[in-house]
Amino acid sequence: MRRPNEIERDEKSIGTLVELTGVFEGIASMRIAQIKNQVLQATAFFNDLWEIYSQLRVDNLFRFGRSQDSSKVLNKDLYILITAEGGFSGDIDQKLIRVMQQTYDKDKHDIIVIGHHGAMQLVQQGISFKKYFKLPTRDKNINVSPIIQYVQQYQKTTVFYQEYISLMVQDVKRIELSAAVQQQGKESEENEKKEIITAENTIFEPSVYGVIDHLERSMLQIAMSQLILDSKLAQYASRFRAMTASHERAEETKAEYHLEYNRAKRAIKDQRLKEIINGLRKAKVAA
Amino acid sequence: MAVRQDASTGEMVDDGNSEQSSIDPTMMEIKVYSPYQIYFDEQAYSISAVNDTGPFDILKGHHRFLTLLSPCELLIRAQNGEEKIKISRGVMYVKEDKVTVFLDV
Repeated sequence: MRRPNEIERDEKSIGTLVELTGVFEGIASMRIAQIKNQVLQATAFFNDLWEIYSQLRVDNLFRFGRSQDSSKVLNKDLYILITAEGGFSGDIDQKLIRVMQQTYDKDKHDIIVIGHHGAMQLVQQGISFKKYFKLPTRDKNINVSPIIQYVQQYQKTTVFYQEYISLMVQDVKRIELSAAVQQQGKESEENEKKEIITAENTIFEPSVYGVIDHLERSMLQIAMSQLILDSKLAQYASRFRAMTASHERAEETKAEYHLEYNRAKRAIKDQRLKEIINGLRKAKVAA
Repeated sequence: MAVRQDASTGEMVDDGNSEQSSIDPTMMEIKVYSPYQIYFDEQAYSISAVNDTGPFDILKGHHRFLTLLSPCELLIRAQNGEEKIKISRGVMYVKEDKVTVFLDV
């Protein structure tokens, strides 16, 4: 049996782990609440912008803000993978790459990866990617313009991201980016009476098409930011889940150590008592 | 509030003109916001900004107008004084005495 002071040392160190996992769990939970609030605010903003854009549209085509000129568009599809920056996010990134591999063809698709963890996973699996972007650390005013510049070069863009379903459930989803924009727009369009904005009833500066292109780029950026935020939300939830499990395990181990410590101390006391009784017996016999 | 004290009874009574007196006919609704923050959302007299053509002002009764904004300082003249908001880019939409400025887009 181990000595009580050794067990006490282990108990103390596992106590630190209990506190740390508790703190990480708290931080993850706080971030989840903040991001959820931001997603709601950004959705309301998007809906207002979509309302104007939908009143301006002359057809249902979404042109990714590349104006009426589509001649420079690459005849390839772009895959964007939104993964975690660090390795504290459970196994959801591996799952995301597995989903992407189901349809990936290196001759037909180019990959852009957001997040260091995903980039490492791709390298390990021998999958090359065109560009790697760091996952934005801040949750507000995410600058997605460099990503949108790539998006505009391709005929179709599919985003693979982590979706937050609930605190305990996160899933991997794929969505075509233009569909993501239109999907968000449709949600805001329901039960609304449409009014048309034309050059006859509105003054445009610089021009109608200039404004439409700008709005399309803006909505792409908001939709992309929303997907990044959604992924971050799922990553925090995944981290929260992992930390909750670690916290519980650490607490159980701490309780086991405490029990072992008490047993060890008791065993020493029993041993000493036994020795005293034996000593007394021997002294009695000798007397 | 258009509430006055009745001279004969001493009670506070509403003279029924509260709505009329609170709305200034020269004011319009102005909302300036970005995806994650609301900078201004009140009634005001005017808003000044800059687009590709140059500086311009919007007052009540302006024609419907949709423009891309250049980097500038928005100047809003409200009841409590002037408010300045520095912007890098944005979209302004004016419709029926309501001005909406979308920032960071």
